[in-house]
Amino acid sequence: MSAPPGHATGAGRLWRKNLVIWAALLALLLLSLGIAYVPMGRITVAAGIVIAVMKSALVLLLFMELAKSGSLIRLAAIAGLVFLIAMFGLALTDVLTRT
Amino acid sequence: MSDESALLREPWFDFGRQREAGKFGIWVFLGSEMLFFGALLLTYTVCRIEHPDAFAAAGRATNIWYGTINTAVLLTSSLTMAMASQAAASPARLRRLVLACLLATALLGLAFVVIKGFEYKEDIDKHLVPGAGFALPQPGAQLFYGLYWLVTGVHAVHLSIGIVLVGRLFWEFYRRELPTQANPELEITALYWHLVDIVWIFLYPLIYLPGRSS
Amino acid sequence: MTDALLAGDLPLPPRPDYLRHGSTIASWLTTTDHKRIAILYAITITFFFFLGGAAVTAVRLELFEPNGWLLTSDTYNKLFSFHGIIMVWFFLVPSIPNTLGNFLLPLMIGAPDVAFPRLNLFSWYLTIAAGAFTVYALLAGGVDTGWTFYTPYSSMFSNSHVFAAAAGVFVVGFASIATGVNFIATTHMLRAPGMTWFRLPLFVWAIYATSLIMVLATPVLAISLLLVIAERVLGLPIFDPARGGDPILFQHLFWFYSHPAVYIMVLPAMGVVSEVIPCFARRRIFGYDFMVYAMLAIAGIGFFVWGHHMFVSGQSALASLVFSFLSFIIAVPSAIKVFNWTASLFRGQISFESPMLYSLGFVGLFTTGGLSGLFLASIPVDVHVTDTYFVVAHFHYIMVGGSVSAFFAGLHFWWPKVTGKLYPESWAKFAAILMYAGFNMTFLPQFFAGYLGMPRRYHTYPAEFQIYNVMSSAGAGVLAVAYLLPLGYLTWSLFYGGRAGNNPWAATGLEWTTTSPPPPKNFDRQPRVDRGPYEYHAEGMSAGTDAPEVQNARDIR
Ligand code: HEM
Ligand SMILES: [Cu+2]
Repeated sequence: MSAPPGHATGAGRLWRKNLVIWAALLALLLLSLGIAYVPMGRITVAAGIVIAVMKSALVLLLFMELAKSGSLIRLAAIAGLVFLIAMFGLALTDVLTRT
Repeated sequence: MSDESALLREPWFDFGRQREAGKFGIWVFLGSEMLFFGALLLTYTVCRIEHPDAFAAAGRATNIWYGTINTAVLLTSSLTMAMASQAAASPARLRRLVLACLLATALLGLAFVVIKGFEYKEDIDKHLVPGAGFALPQPGAQLFYGLYWLVTGVHAVHLSIGIVLVGRLFWEFYRRELPTQANPELEITALYWHLVDIVWIFLYPLIYLPGRSS
Repeated sequence: MTDALLAGDLPLPPRPDYLRHGSTIASWLTTTDHKRIAILYAITITFFFFLGGAAVTAVRLELFEPNGWLLTSDTYNKLFSFHGIIMVWFFLVPSIPNTLGNFLLPLMIGAPDVAFPRLNLFSWYLTIAAGAFTVYALLAGGVDTGWTFYTPYSSMFSNSHVFAAAAGVFVVGFASIATGVNFIATTHMLRAPGMTWFRLPLFVWAIYATSLIMVLATPVLAISLLLVIAERVLGLPIFDPARGGDPILFQHLFWFYSHPAVYIMVLPAMGVVSEVIPCFARRRIFGYDFMVYAMLAIAGIGFFVWGHHMFVSGQSALASLVFSFLSFIIAVPSAIKVFNWTASLFRGQISFESPMLYSLGFVGLFTTGGLSGLFLASIPVDVHVTDTYFVVAHFHYIMVGGSVSAFFAGLHFWWPKVTGKLYPESWAKFAAILMYAGFNMTFLPQFFAGYLGMPRRYHTYPAEFQIYNVMSSAGAGVLAVAYLLPLGYLTWSLFYGGRAGNNPWAATGLEWTTTSPPPPKNFDRQPRVDRGPYEYHAEGMSAGTDAPEVQNARDIR
């Protein structure tokens, strides 16, 4: 990073960037709150979860800086996700097909 | 750099490498945490699949205001945490900003816990604790609240650990005038904090939003 | 001739090795030296091994007679539960990774320590705290759920100390996670210059793959136990079918951890054997790359097969089918490994020192156990033999015949490095052979008893099964002697054993280039690596065409 030294500029740039992300997060929060009251059955449920995924993607990629991390760190994050999906997938294979 | 040699630990020779290892290590741990909370969410999912109506009724009985406000509080704390961490990493000397953001993060975390406390009290008053005298008729609703107490409790424990870590960092920097720049502990604490926030991001629709539209 | 002279080095000035670098109790209890922490772990797991062994001694005594002559059924339940809990979580899971792995990982990659030395010590303290919980559960009256803590028995009906036992396992899980994180970071970040990924000894790969499982599977065990505790203590209805809960869900969570966990127990054993066999066959390992990929595949696929423990649980037929299929798949990488160990012997100069005897024992017993696993993975057979002694024999062949044998192989192989002492080889050979014989005597009859229908976990049985149980109990006696022998002669060697050189087996790993025992920071000079891990002979040659130094290495010693 080659931000010019001096408090105002460095800090101001950081605030501008992060406040935008924060505003997006709050907007998504309100959006999911609103959609929850729209009766669309399963789509309502799905919308809540999709929005949660979007919010956490913002936090993961930008606040946790996964977007500009090296491949090793991305691998660590993805590994957790892969086995999480496997756990859900196989356990639900049972639960959804029980008779 | 003398800043760096003060922070260098065994068995490292090179501070950059040490910092990278710390960051990698915490990410591996966060992967583990993902499965920890993931297993809880799987439990929730299975129970919800088995009792969709009871879960809708139970979700309706939660207090949406507490939930939404607390989500906003946590999201804001992630903002200040990210600011603290990025300000420390920036080449400009932003010591005051780092300290202020750390303090704000810890206070927002505390605010979350306090609000949660009020919510818990209200839940108890409304007889939403599983067991005799439970408020809702459906058996599945007790399941919902059983998981509610457990999951929010485990989350609160994680958050409290985070508050202690952030508070400690603030105090160390403030009192001992440690260099805030490129401090690996700050980076690690921030990553942990964000993960606890992400967990809540998922809890919000699962706890507070079911059944709102019916 | 000493090894230093052989290697062409000048003798170094004397400096204390890690064992003599501070001798107070406090210097041990506050150490962050991975080698000392390994010793702390070794003492701890030895204690637990004999504790778990004592419990099962009573079990085997009881089973001499079909009528339950010695114990009440209640006591019997508590004894086999305690045996399982202790042996799985306090002996086998930490055995190779936390002792040999802790000691060797930094040495093998040319590092001065693990990535987070204080976390390493913390993990040991967690193990101790967890052990205290579990032993408390025993002293307070025991726990009778079996090591599997199945609900709704554990959550609703058992009147024993489920809370303390589950809390112990919960805590030791976090020790496991801490160790896993540490080892993964160490392998990634602390390799010496020139130590590329495909120059890593297979033992390092094995520990790495194991650590992945520890980190990603253990949290789910923690949750499954937390839910049981929450249900017992707070009265939550999670696994209570009468109140809408789902008891089968517990089995999903538990086995999501516990099937991968069986690979936590066996992968490190595979790593040990992959070091020992090349050394005593004087051969490069056959198919190094495949060995690596096979271990990673085992670690990965191991997460997808847990449902084979649930064929009769009420899980859906589709799920059973999927899990059965995936379980057959995981046999493939295991088989690749067995073939490669065998192929590594081909055209070798094989000698039968004690580590090699233990390792060959591993290969045979692991293969038997793995093949019986395939029987169990096929649903029709499993429905017939599930919850019988067939299953008991299956997993003991792998975990005791396989992993424990390999643990002893590693213990003997690296004993000179760890302690600087030589043990009496003929005693060691005798113990290795006795262990193999005693093991088969104990567990082979169980395959038959189980196939004929003897259920597990009962303390009385129809008289027709007595012959198998008597054989088994007698074998257990032999096995007990075989386990006590090393305790005797290895301890003896600490005081009276001859001094070991740096490289008594003429092995090729980096750990043999430093002194025995190593100095506190492992290497006097930062090692640089310019070759693969098993260069026992020139590429493309067989062991017989080696340079004379290598061929005669055993005589030089
Ligand atoms: C070739 C790979 C393997 C296959 C296909 C396999 C298959 C199975 C199956 C189907 C069962 C369930 C039997 C039943 O309860 O009815 C089982 C039980 C078991 N296996 Fe394996 N297995 C394999 C390897 C291993 C390994 C490597 C270990 C240990 C290191 C192991 C340890 C166990 C244990 C502990 C149990 C019994 C758990 C209990 O119910 O108490 N297995 N195995
Ligand atoms: Cu299994």
